[in-house]
Amino acid sequence: MKHRFFLRTLMAVAFGAILCVPTTWAAQSQPQQIEIVAKRFEYMPSVITLKEGVPVVLMLTSKDVAHGLKFKELGLNIKAKKGTTSKITFTPEKTGTFVGECSVFCGSGHGSMKLTLRVTE
Amino acid sequence: MRAWQVLPTVCALALLTGCKVSTPNRFERTFLEAVKHDITVRNKSEKNPMSFTKENFAAGKEAYGHYCVVCHGLDGQSTGVPFANQMSPPLPSLASAEVQSYTDGQLKWIIDNGISPSGMPASKGTLSDDEIWSIVIFLRHLPPAGSLGEPEVYNH
Repeated sequence: MKHRFFLRTLMAVAFGAILCVPTTWAAQSQPQQIEIVAKRFEYMPSVITLKEGVPVVLMLTSKDVAHGLKFKELGLNIKAKKGTTSKITFTPEKTGTFVGECSVFCGSGHGSMKLTLRVTE
Repeated sequence: MRAWQVLPTVCALALLTGCKVSTPNRFERTFLEAVKHDITVRNKSEKNPMSFTKENFAAGKEAYGHYCVVCHGLDGQSTGVPFANQMSPPLPSLASAEVQSYTDGQLKWIIDNGISPSGMPASKGTLSDDEIWSIVIFLRHLPPAGSLGEPEVYNH
């Protein structure tokens, strides 16, 4: 009886471990997600810092009208329609400070809508 | 300002305010053009940091399309704009010598700051510097008059 109970416990633990391990591995291999909220006429946060060579997923959510975020120097452009979230995987290849601008015309303050991206070593 | 100067100044300003729209005569046109080109419109020496490429031209055309088309038409030559000749001063064709003789820096200044008295609005903050410089590139390479049709807003 005791032997059977031990075996069942062992199987349950092993099954649990099987379920958990891939999840842990997957969590470790997933790039960090950076959430950016865009609304007239600002980004939140307005400054983000990334590590050179470390991939991230940039998630741009638009709260009011369609917005975009374009880093000309980095060849990066992401657009989100009203009330939606767009994702893009991005690996910073060079260090420095880059200014991103809204790439979808959104109204009178469109030209002043900027986000600063710092890429460090 | 001294007391004896106030009345003539007020009268002169009154003459310029709230008048009926009319086509400026040759003297007015020449005078205003000279004042704008040589005195009020600044930034003459600033160079466009963007050069002509397919991408920059396309970006300029897109940025110009945000709202410039409502007054200047899709082609920059007021095609299909119903009030183009009913403003004072009338809307100039952006392909005209009057406009094309501004330097790139001056065109940027005009888009940034607008021109008073005219309907030209200031776009600083509404458009980014990159967008404005790309519009300058588009203005230097305008399509033939009428080749792009009329702004959609006037087709309803």
